[in-house]
Amino acid sequence: MSASNESVAFDTPARERRADAFAMWIFVGSEAMLFGAILLVFFMARISYGAAFAAASQRLSLPLGTLNTVVLITSSFAMPLAHLYASAGRWRAALWSLAATVLLGLGFLGIKTAEYTMEFREGIAPVLGAPFTYDGPDRVHAEFFFGLYFAMTSLHALHLIGGIVVIAGMLMLWTRANEASRLRRVHAIGLYWHFVDIVWVFLFPVLYLINR
Amino acid sequence: MSEFRKLTFAYLGLLGLLVLTVGSSFFPLGGLNSVLNLVIAGGKAGIIALLFMQLAADGVLPRLAAATAALWLAILFGLTLIGQ
Amino acid sequence: MSTEALSPPGYLSEGAGPAAWLLTTDHKRIAWLYLASLTAFFFLGGAFAVLMRVELATPSGDLVSDDSYNRLFSLHGIIMIWFFLVPSIPATLGNFLLPLMVGARDLAFPRLNLASWYVFMLGSMFALFSVLAGGVDTGWTFYTPLSTLYANGFVSMAALGVFIVGFSTIMTGINFIVTVHTLRAPGLTWFRLPIFVWTMYATALVMVLATPVLAASLILIVLERVFGIGIFNPALGGDPLLFQHLFWFYSHPAVYIMILPGMGVVSEVLPCFSRRPLFGYKAVALSSMAIAVFGFLVWGHHMFVSGQSAYAGVLFSFLSFCVAIPSAIKVFNWSLTLRKGEISFETPMLYALFFLALFTFGGLAGLFLAALAIDVHVHDTYFVVAHFHYIMVGGMVTAYMAGLHFWWPKLTGRLYSETWGRIAATVTFLGFNLTFFPQFVLGYLGMPRRYHTYPPEFQFWHVLSSAGAVVLAIGYLMPLLYLGWSMFRGARAPANPWGATGLEWQTASPPPPHNFETTPKVSRPAYDYPMKGLRHEKFSPHKEEAR
Repeated sequence: MSASNESVAFDTPARERRADAFAMWIFVGSEAMLFGAILLVFFMARISYGAAFAAASQRLSLPLGTLNTVVLITSSFAMPLAHLYASAGRWRAALWSLAATVLLGLGFLGIKTAEYTMEFREGIAPVLGAPFTYDGPDRVHAEFFFGLYFAMTSLHALHLIGGIVVIAGMLMLWTRANEASRLRRVHAIGLYWHFVDIVWVFLFPVLYLINR
Repeated sequence: MSEFRKLTFAYLGLLGLLVLTVGSSFFPLGGLNSVLNLVIAGGKAGIIALLFMQLAADGVLPRLAAATAALWLAILFGLTLIGQ
Repeated sequence: MSTEALSPPGYLSEGAGPAAWLLTTDHKRIAWLYLASLTAFFFLGGAFAVLMRVELATPSGDLVSDDSYNRLFSLHGIIMIWFFLVPSIPATLGNFLLPLMVGARDLAFPRLNLASWYVFMLGSMFALFSVLAGGVDTGWTFYTPLSTLYANGFVSMAALGVFIVGFSTIMTGINFIVTVHTLRAPGLTWFRLPIFVWTMYATALVMVLATPVLAASLILIVLERVFGIGIFNPALGGDPLLFQHLFWFYSHPAVYIMILPGMGVVSEVLPCFSRRPLFGYKAVALSSMAIAVFGFLVWGHHMFVSGQSAYAGVLFSFLSFCVAIPSAIKVFNWSLTLRKGEISFETPMLYALFFLALFTFGGLAGLFLAALAIDVHVHDTYFVVAHFHYIMVGGMVTAYMAGLHFWWPKLTGRLYSETWGRIAATVTFLGFNLTFFPQFVLGYLGMPRRYHTYPPEFQFWHVLSSAGAVVLAIGYLMPLLYLGWSMFRGARAPANPWGATGLEWQTASPPPPHNFETTPKVSRPAYDYPMKGLRHEKFSPHKEEAR
């Protein structure tokens, strides 16, 4: 039993790594069911109120949404770089890649906050009792669209924050962890991060690109 | 191909698909727009899963988990749609 | 020399004091943490039920107000389902036995295991707060738009409690799946696994695939209540029925989360006490997986009268008939296991036989409900209540008791009093039937569920049911006493008091901290009764003098 095992149950670190990856994929699968359920709600509404949703979707900022997608995809590039460097034992490069991932993630949140602020000011944020002053067609169903938009993007943002917190925690404990631990953790959080990216990859067209 | 090159190509591919999906939304293709967007999103997800998350490596278990999730999402969507 | 003064050896004496228990990563100790919490919740949920039955003994609503009664049945359901039944066998017996049964030192992720208990306790705090502050009146089903727009009460608090506890379930599920795939001992192929392991695996699959959808539906309720985002609000174009689709997508498979572990327990107990191998091992194993999968395809049978399309109704009805088939396969296989066996009626066997009878009966009632025309008549009546209590209580809780008694010597290193065990089992069986059989009659005669006032002609059956509830409560309180007593004064148990097959019996009672002295190697099939070639004498607690 090697000392670099974190779980007493495993005989070799290799078996533990495979079990880790499997566990993370199962978790990702269960999160997919979570987002899938909420997407289903959106999907059903979209089928019923296509025109209203298309008009409402135009009021979201396509430039900011696209920029956010670029930022998140880039962070998803930095993440496997971190893993690549960690596997090669290039720990400083790995550290920088992780830091870049976190910064890009924070960038995404910053842009999202800007978007939310804009939407509140424009009066198209039917959340927390804020006034809703949409002047397009089919106001009622447009309000529904914006409600779903806030629900879905804030849930995604919460997951992103979770990922950022975990990576930040990892970075803080970096010097205390041994090399095998670091590699395992980078791999595990990487899988989670990519999943959050995949969710956004679906959310973006579904929310921003309805029949422009 | 080195791992770094593979990751770079994946990244560029993702950006390319992004251009495609945003660009195509400016052409009114009716219902085809949404289908195209979903297909492109699926393609991006595939690139991320296969190249960034290394779904194809490390044994059959991750792929089993991913396939099961995909199947179950299909059940959720499919039977609910029938029910409405 | 009195042995009561010595603490039992093994994992129980490895470190004492609160920290050794609250910070443990030993799956066996974590199982005890869960056992304590779950027992408390069982009696809390049971207390609500007793209040309901006392109220229902008279036709007028004289004990509690309408609103209070709504809160009683809602809390009874929420607590019993999410804070007792769903975790019950998996988090206690599953946690304890799964590593032992596959020959491992612990689960794949011991710290994740401990974390899951803390997450469970966090969710419990939310739920308890909600209870103490006045509770919810939406029913355990949280249907919209009542729960989102009109209900007064601590809906968000309760929903968050359930949401958090759901994550505990998912964590346990991931741990179990990975353990079964990656930690089986050498020679332990899939088809040599005990059926209990198969059912834990199937249960875990359902846990990780279904619970997230519940989480989604609860989040959406909270978003609507707290943030004003109208998701299921018809005035905004939302569809309240969609909530039901999401809710039942989880809650139907959830009933299989609740019953599959019980089926696993019964599959261990019946062969042992008939000294026969399990009949049709592969059929039982594969039908467990089939139940897990098909269980996801039938949720619309909770919505036959909700306004979903007629085609959906027919489809879900057909699929619901199909899902009964794997369960029936198991019932036949269990029955055939008994054939020509040397049957003895120890407490676990009594409970297992009661399970067989009550689960079959309740399952047959389910077939009635799957038929569209009958369901229209009995939907939302006591017929449904009786059906699911036959399965959940007559099936699941009975199996839980069977398992608790069967593995008690392994968990504690002590033997309980067989006499008291048998008495309690019989009392629960009689009390159960007296409580719930009249409810089938009531439902068919038209008594609606969730009502506390009713026409006087129903009173006769209600009085029978309430009387039964008192007897049932006594039957469930008794084990608290004699099992508790046995922990301190019971006779010491040998490694294998029942002469049972399975790796857990090959190690000491209670097991050492890392389960086995050396990793076992497996070369025999799962149910090797009557264990020819292995010299073994079946231990009988009555013959051994209490030391």
